[in-house]
Amino acid sequence: MTEKRISHTDLPRLLARLRERGPVHAPLEDETGDAVLTELSSDDLISLRYRNFRLSPKSFLLPQNQVLFRFQDGKEEEPALPDREMVVFGVRPCDAKAMQALDKVFLDGDQNDPYYARAREKTVVIALACTRPLSSCFCTSVGGGPGDGAGADVLALELDADLLLRALTPGGERLLSSVRDLLCDAAPSAVKEAEDRVRAAEEQIAPVKVDGSAQRLSNAYDSPLWASVSQKCLGCGTCSFLCPTCHCFDITDEVRGGTGRRVRTWDCCAYPLFTLHGSGHNPRPTPKERWRQRIMHKFRYAIENFGRPFCVGCGRCIRSCPVGMDIRTVLKEIGV
Amino acid sequence: MQFEGIMNQTQSVQQAASKQAWEPKIVAFLCNWCSYAGADLAGVSRIQYPCNVRVIRVPCSGRINPAFLLRALQNGADAVLVSGCHPGDCHYISGNLVARRKFALLKALLQYVGIEPERVQFTWVSASEGGRFAAIIEKVVEQVRKLGPNGRLAKRL
Amino acid sequence: MTASHEIENRLRATAEKLLREKKVDLFLGYEKASLPFRTTPLLLTAAEEAGRLVWNSFCTVNLAVYLPRLFKAPADAREAKSATPPPKVGIVLKGCDARSVVALIQERQVPRENLVLVGIGCPGVVDAQKAEKTLGEHEALGAGEDAQGSIRAVVEDGTEITLYRQEVLADACLECRSPMPAICDLVLGGPVEAKETDAARRRAAEFESKPPDARWARFQEMISKCIRCNACRQACPMCYCKECLLDQTRPRLIGAGTDISDVTIYHLARALHTAGRCTECGACVRACPMGIDTRLLTRKLSLEAEDLYGYRAGQSADAIPLLSAFAMDDPQDFLTEPSHLPAASSSAQEAEQARRAK
Repeated sequence: MTEKRISHTDLPRLLARLRERGPVHAPLEDETGDAVLTELSSDDLISLRYRNFRLSPKSFLLPQNQVLFRFQDGKEEEPALPDREMVVFGVRPCDAKAMQALDKVFLDGDQNDPYYARAREKTVVIALACTRPLSSCFCTSVGGGPGDGAGADVLALELDADLLLRALTPGGERLLSSVRDLLCDAAPSAVKEAEDRVRAAEEQIAPVKVDGSAQRLSNAYDSPLWASVSQKCLGCGTCSFLCPTCHCFDITDEVRGGTGRRVRTWDCCAYPLFTLHGSGHNPRPTPKERWRQRIMHKFRYAIENFGRPFCVGCGRCIRSCPVGMDIRTVLKEIGV
Repeated sequence: MQFEGIMNQTQSVQQAASKQAWEPKIVAFLCNWCSYAGADLAGVSRIQYPCNVRVIRVPCSGRINPAFLLRALQNGADAVLVSGCHPGDCHYISGNLVARRKFALLKALLQYVGIEPERVQFTWVSASEGGRFAAIIEKVVEQVRKLGPNGRLAKRL
Repeated sequence: MTASHEIENRLRATAEKLLREKKVDLFLGYEKASLPFRTTPLLLTAAEEAGRLVWNSFCTVNLAVYLPRLFKAPADAREAKSATPPPKVGIVLKGCDARSVVALIQERQVPRENLVLVGIGCPGVVDAQKAEKTLGEHEALGAGEDAQGSIRAVVEDGTEITLYRQEVLADACLECRSPMPAICDLVLGGPVEAKETDAARRRAAEFESKPPDARWARFQEMISKCIRCNACRQACPMCYCKECLLDQTRPRLIGAGTDISDVTIYHLARALHTAGRCTECGACVRACPMGIDTRLLTRKLSLEAEDLYGYRAGQSADAIPLLSAFAMDDPQDFLTEPSHLPAASSSAQEAEQARRAK
């Protein structure tokens, strides 16, 4: 696990070399100036000035719109699964950790989701540690941190002139050794400086009380507070769609005559129709039941089933909620 | 075995059809009391008109939700035509008058986003106007033939 | 322009009085949110908590969106027997929000007699995404408004930055023609005049001046970012259908995913379903996590409603909604007329000629 080093000016060469083996997605600025993970072509200049992306990178593993198979006149055709390795560079540690959470759902060993499994197998994640957290970040309270590489193959740490690279998995080691002629060893002082920056970032993150959430939530199921904390919710779906750990999906057939396709799309438990039965009965008829379910799923059921909360503290739901709901406030008000 | 035979036949018919030159496909929503009767009269009178039209009968032009027209275009129709009773003659008194407003707005919006205006057409045809119906179909088919296939709104499965 | 903190004080006093005197069971307003440039809706029931209410340029949510759910009619006779009577609701409203309430009254979704409408003339609200973007690399940890209406943000290193109001006002506010609530029971604060009354028309004309191919390309480019989260629809007070036509599955109208054709139909259909009902409040644009300008479509339809039928949404609670009304002489120059009549049987031709002669 020796750290390697590459200068920022040489980084484009490394990415160009990686592009020879397969697609590379890295942060590029779009026309509004936002950083978006985009497939690199030859001249693109990446930008590392972002805090985090609007959309989480979960769409690399679980696309919003995924064709499972097509059919025409009785013949079925499955789309080819990716067979080239893809590199995603610049994923923040919270989003990489979220991929580990998704692994628990889709790769449980017993019934692996073949589409997710192939995508995960073929995706190499290079995470970029954070040095400037946002006030909406709380990764440290849910088992993560600005320099936590869990879920990634390589962790990159920023210094002024250089980027340090640390392989975390055999896949990461393979990747770094394939470009070893572009890398040097990092000096221990450089490693220390990078880690100091990460530690400074950790200290800026305000803690949120989440410990013991599973027990406290199981005691709070019938609390009358659920109605009041949830009454502002519009059921708009923004939080789930932007959340890196949310993974509920719907499967529909789109058919015209004898031709069609079966498609998997993202779904959201906050939608009023999410649990609408064919009979017309809806067991979660109001925002109260839906928000209770959301919090329970993330901070109790996930812990009971998978040993970890299904929240990585990325803060996207807080920043994007059209009515300013804050999951940290909800947790506090409900007594976690 | 039988199933495969039928499938093979369907495929060969489709392949033959696709080799022919493109013909506009127009979905016409006709109100039951006036326009559908007018179209029927055209048929009974043996008036020839292009066979590019698929008719959907609705009780009144006012029943039509603009989403239906968008859906027809998405399904591959090259144009949609809505036809109702003349203003003042609606079987349900005012359905066509309300429809007139909906369609004006639909047409304005589609034109605004760059869809060719001839892809959504509206007209009044009464039960006795078999010839008029035929003439309108002829005009619409020619206009759409010049536009070409609907590429913008059609959904590719 | 009355300073916002003055209005805030009057608002708190008004809400406290209404709740204490039981003139309302619930007061809908705004309170401080956890992030700067935002407030969050407050559904206040306790008079002594009226101090939580705030009024400033960050009060962006259209509170009318909460009204239909407060007045849902019982589903059947059995439910009606045990249903509680509808609440009396006080609500604070900007100009656009008030017009949404009027539109809801027109459509019988909320009873006027159960509402106490507290209107405030609105000089425009700040779009949080725009404000954050203006700060570039910095993150605002706090933001406020001074007596002159300038927006001040304190960033992570402690410095205070003044934001130019015109740069951070929501797009809808830059085109606002109705800052004063049309209908209300009380008004707090002084009158506010609309500034750029033809801004919307100019924007629409600017888009329309492009050739059709360019318009289509721009429209497709804009909506290609759509993730079909439905935030625009859920934030809109006029989208109150229990089951949206676009979610329906039997039959299914549009696919659920991000196929560009489905995204296109979704946005066109939603714009058409809000035609003549949309009050241009901009809640849809501010709710969109991807920054899509959904008002591109609704702006055009609102202008058409005005030009063709002289109708503006939410002006009068007694007006018949646009698409429930009609006039015999509504324009119909868009109709298709046959260019000629083919040779037909003589009786049909005579009947046709007789008809035309009338």
